[in-house]
Amino acid sequence: MFTNLYQLNLKWIIRDRVLQALVGVALLLLVLVPAFSVLSMRQVQELSITLSLSFISFVLALLAILLGASSVWRDIEKRYTSAVLTLPYSRGSYLLGKFFAIAVCLVCSAAIFTLVAAVAISFSSGLYQSSLPIRWLHIFTAVAFDVLKYVLLVAIAILFSSISTSFFLPIFGTISLLLAGNASQEVFEYLTKDSVGVKTAKPLLYAAKGIYYLIPNLGAFNFKVSAIYPVALSSQGVIYTLLYFLVYTTIILYLAVYFFSRREFP
Amino acid sequence: MKALEITGLSKIYKTKKAGVVNALSDLNLVISSGEVFGFLGPNGAGKSTTIKAIMGLIKPSKGDALIAGVPASDPHSRLNIGYLPENPSFYDFLTGREYLYFIGTSFHMADNLLKSRTNEVLDKMELSLAADRPIRGYSKGMVQRLGLAQALLHDPEIYILDEPMSGLDPLGRALVKNLIKELKAHGKTIFFSTHITADVEAVCDRVGIIVNGELRAVDKVESILEKGITGYNIHVRTGGDISLFSGFDFTERDSGILEFYTSRALFKQFMEIVVHANCEVDLVEPVRKNIESFFLELVEKR
Repeated sequence: MFTNLYQLNLKWIIRDRVLQALVGVALLLLVLVPAFSVLSMRQVQELSITLSLSFISFVLALLAILLGASSVWRDIEKRYTSAVLTLPYSRGSYLLGKFFAIAVCLVCSAAIFTLVAAVAISFSSGLYQSSLPIRWLHIFTAVAFDVLKYVLLVAIAILFSSISTSFFLPIFGTISLLLAGNASQEVFEYLTKDSVGVKTAKPLLYAAKGIYYLIPNLGAFNFKVSAIYPVALSSQGVIYTLLYFLVYTTIILYLAVYFFSRREFP
Repeated sequence: MKALEITGLSKIYKTKKAGVVNALSDLNLVISSGEVFGFLGPNGAGKSTTIKAIMGLIKPSKGDALIAGVPASDPHSRLNIGYLPENPSFYDFLTGREYLYFIGTSFHMADNLLKSRTNEVLDKMELSLAADRPIRGYSKGMVQRLGLAQALLHDPEIYILDEPMSGLDPLGRALVKNLIKELKAHGKTIFFSTHITADVEAVCDRVGIIVNGELRAVDKVESILEKGITGYNIHVRTGGDISLFSGFDFTERDSGILEFYTSRALFKQFMEIVVHANCEVDLVEPVRKNIESFFLELVEKR
């Protein structure tokens, strides 16, 4: 039953013209990576990796926000819900079908982008020999955790969609959390530094800590530095981030299903 | 057997200004298997609210509904239902055939059966030529017919149709009426909402009339029509002596036929005169209030 909804949503994503355009733009940007990289003169390889990872990350973010925030809202707006939610499906299957279809779309898109990026990086590194080796495992790990970050973002977008009647909260709420989540670690570390902590008022410090633990720590998913420069990949960091992703995403999806199951469609 | 059982169903909506709207008040209704039940009411009476509560789209404030004994809140209760929403809208990136495939698999239909049933219902709803076109290119009437096709696809025992004739041309309306009669002949249960009294009169066994969220009446259509008889038009062929009929209004027609109108109370007396006068009766036609008059009386009643 669940796979039926999952396949339906996958069909919607594949036939979506906006998605097709975004994938096209991403591929074009990746193909242009060697041309942009030679502008750096000596750090062609490093810049090609940086640009490739950044382009992939940017397009995955757009896909996650657009697909995640619009999927439920669009069904309500176009009254598809009155047809699909009256079939013998639970509300949970409906939401999870959407979530997994978008997640699979992100994984597949990232796989295609990584393949093209690998060609672009190899080609760029041949243009100007770098003293650093290309760490393919680190590059793939960086992309994989970027995908996980955006899959988590899709869960957040779906949570907002499950409680909101308009597209404002799903779209702008998700964008806000993406920005806040990327910066939360640095802000938290800054505020809890002893020198700063003394100056910061206690209530504000507690509020900042509360927010830090509440919003997703998306900075933890950033493994780009070890992909670009010869920095060792921390296996502990990888495992903790993976566990964090699993726990946080499960909680968010549970809340989304909880709220959506109580929602009315008059 | 009870196909549908609604007990004390109420729905209260809270408005933004802290007010409340009683969309549905203490609705009790039992629909038996094989019955065609018309749910009649003016716009905003609570027909769609009732159907949405049965289909699990809204949660009742009070009361519950059972579909073939299974609570409506359980998604499994919908396994044996063919539902047509009001002004339906279906995933428009799919073709009609793809949408029916999605519906069929949702009801666990085997692949072979699904393919043959898809062709059958597309043919029945006159959509075969448009079956492989995206739904986004369908007209309103075609979407309505696709809605009926998806309700029919898995051959359920119970049909819940919300305004099934809405948006259809006269040909489409005739198609739906014939379809309902055909389903009834196959022993299916049909619960449909409408605000058109002629539709009820044409196809229903029973009718429920809902006004302002309250069920005002439930009765057999036949019984309403019988109770509504006010008199009779009688065509009598007399031998020429019409003096016995003094006191009854008549119009003289061609070839010696007199057309009388008699009230229901005087019908027996009139027929005794006919026998006594040794006249020939050509036609006895009841004059009655239709469902519309009955409906209007109930709506106007406070």
